[in-house]
Amino acid sequence: MMDRKLVNISLTLIVVFASFLLLVWVGGSVLNIERLQTGERPLLRFVFVAVGLVAAFGVYWVTRANKAWEVGTREVVYMAIGAALYAVFSYLFNGTVFLVPSVSQVALRPAIALPMFFGYAFGPVVGFFTGAMGNMVGDALTGFGLFPQWSVGNGLIGLIAGMAMLYPDKKKSMNNVLIIGAVLAGLATLFYLFTRSQAIPNTLFFNPDAGIFGDQPITLFAGLSAVIGFILVLVVRFAFANNIDFGAAVTWGMLGNLIGLGFAALSDIWINGYPPAVAIVGEFLPAAGPNLIFAAILVPILVAAYAALRRQTGR
Amino acid sequence: MLVTWRYRKRRSLIQSFDPRAWIIFYLCFMAAVISFWDVRVLAVLFAVALGVVFTSGIGWREMRRAWLFIGGFIVYFSLFTFLTGRGGVEFYTEEHVIRNLEASFTILGWRPVLHVTAERAFYALSMVVRVFSLASMTILIPYSFNPAQYGVTFRGLGVPDKIAYAMDLTMRFVPTYARDFQVTLDAQRARGYEIEKLRGGLVAQVRKLAPLIVPVTIQAIAGSEDIIDAMDLRAFGVRPRTWLEELHYRPRDRALMIFGAALLVFSLALAYFGFGSFWIPESLRSLPLL
Repeated sequence: MMDRKLVNISLTLIVVFASFLLLVWVGGSVLNIERLQTGERPLLRFVFVAVGLVAAFGVYWVTRANKAWEVGTREVVYMAIGAALYAVFSYLFNGTVFLVPSVSQVALRPAIALPMFFGYAFGPVVGFFTGAMGNMVGDALTGFGLFPQWSVGNGLIGLIAGMAMLYPDKKKSMNNVLIIGAVLAGLATLFYLFTRSQAIPNTLFFNPDAGIFGDQPITLFAGLSAVIGFILVLVVRFAFANNIDFGAAVTWGMLGNLIGLGFAALSDIWINGYPPAVAIVGEFLPAAGPNLIFAAILVPILVAAYAALRRQTGR
Repeated sequence: MLVTWRYRKRRSLIQSFDPRAWIIFYLCFMAAVISFWDVRVLAVLFAVALGVVFTSGIGWREMRRAWLFIGGFIVYFSLFTFLTGRGGVEFYTEEHVIRNLEASFTILGWRPVLHVTAERAFYALSMVVRVFSLASMTILIPYSFNPAQYGVTFRGLGVPDKIAYAMDLTMRFVPTYARDFQVTLDAQRARGYEIEKLRGGLVAQVRKLAPLIVPVTIQAIAGSEDIIDAMDLRAFGVRPRTWLEELHYRPRDRALMIFGAALLVFSLALAYFGFGSFWIPESLRSLPLL
C-alpha cells in the first residue's frame, strides 16, 4: 500500500503539471510575439516539465522520512505568501513598471532572492511552490508569455534551497555544496571562454528603446557573472563564518539557481532548437550569473531580517 | 488589510456559469485559438471573445488600464514585427510585395526601405487578432470570479485541499502585496529614497533595493501569524475539508463544457488536416516577389 503522503505528493505534482498546461494555453498567445516563440515542438515543453517534476519527486522519494517534507498550516500559508510576493516582485521589476537600469547587460531582477529565501527558511515544499507558482502568476501578470520549463526550473531553485533542511550537519553539507557549485559555475564559464570568438548573443537582454531584442553579443561582464557571483557567495560564506545561516542560505540558493536554471536552459536545446553554446552561454550564464550576485547580497539581508523578526516575536 | 481584485456581482454571461465550467471552456477556447493562424478563422473566434466582453457588464472605466497596457504591448510588438519582417518566417518562404516605401532621405548613404508585403501584413494582422482574442478572455477573469470561490474552484478541478487552499491564498495575496509594495515605496520616498536614481555599481544598486524588498517580505511573514492562528483554530488540514460555498453543475454548465470540448476537438481536427494555417488572399499571390 502506498502511504498517504506519497499519494498526496504525487497528486500535487500532477496538479502542478496540469496548471502548467493550463497556463501555457493562456499565455500561448503571447508566445507568438517576435523571438519569444515556442519553437516548433510545443509538446517537448511538457516532456521537460515532466522531467523536472520527476526529478523533484525523486528527491522527495529518497528522503521521504525527513520532517522537512511535512506540510502543515504554516507551510500552506508560507507557500501562498512566497508565491504571491515572488509574482508581485517579478512583475514589478521586469521592466514594464519600473525601468530599472541595466549594468552592462545585467538587468536588476532582485525577485530571485525570494524562492531561495522561502526555500531555505521554510523548507523544500514551500520553496518549490514559491518558485513555480510565483513564476507562473508573475509571467501571466506581465503578459510576457509562459515558459513552463522555466517555471519548473524556478521551482527547483526553491526546492534545492530548501534541501539544506535535510542535512543535520550544516557546515559539512555546505562545503560539499560549495564544491559542486564551483564545478558547475566553472564549467559554464570555461564554455564561455572557449566560445568567446563566436560572439554568442545574450538572448535574455532586451532594450526596445535601443532596438536590442536579445541579439547583442554577450558582454565580458555578463559572461563572467557566474564567477563573480560565486566569489560573492564565497565572501558571504567566510566573512560571516560566525553566523552559519547566512552562508548556508546563500550556498544552497546558489546550487538551486545553477541546477534549476541549468535544467531550463539546457531544455531549450531541444525545445527551441538552440545550439548548446547559445543555451549555455547566451541563456544560462546571463540568467544564472546575475542571479548569484543578487542572491549573495539580498538573501543574507532577508535571513538576518527574518532572524530579527523571530527574536522579536519569540518564535 | 486584504485588498481584492475588482470583482463585483454582475448580471453577465460569464458570471451566469459555474467558475469551474468557465475555466474548462476558457482552456478549450485558448487551445482552439492557438491552433490557428488563418485570420478568417481567428476572426470568428475573436467575435466570440468580443461577445463575452460586451455582455460582461464591466464598464470601460473599470477595465481601461488593463486594456491600454495589453493593447499597447500587442500593437507595439505587431508593428515591430511588421516593420522588420522578423517573426513569422516559419510560415512563408516567399513574400509578395504590395509596395516598397523608400525614404526620401539617406542616413550615411543608406536609404531606408520599408517592404510592405502581403505576408508581413497578414502575419501582423493575424497576430493582433489572435492575441486580442486571448487577452479579452483573460482580462475578464479577475473581474468576474468571486474571490470567495477560488479555493473551491481549484478543489473542484481536482487539486488536493491544501494545495487548492495555497493557490486560493496566492491569488488573494497578490493585490494586497502590490498595495503593500506601493505603500512601502511611498514611505521610503518620503525619507529620500529614489528608485529612479539608483547609483553605483551593480552590487551597490542591488543593495539599494533591499529597503523595498525586505520590509514587504518581512511584514508579510509577520502578518501571516494571524492567518495561521485563524486557520489552526478552525482545525485546518485535520480532516478532508468542506468549503463554505458549494458549487453545483447545472445543465447550462455542462452544456458550456461540452461546447468547449467540441470546439477544441473540432479545431484540433481542422488543424490536423491542414485547415486554418497561415493564409493570404489568393489575389495577392499574383504580386511580384520580394
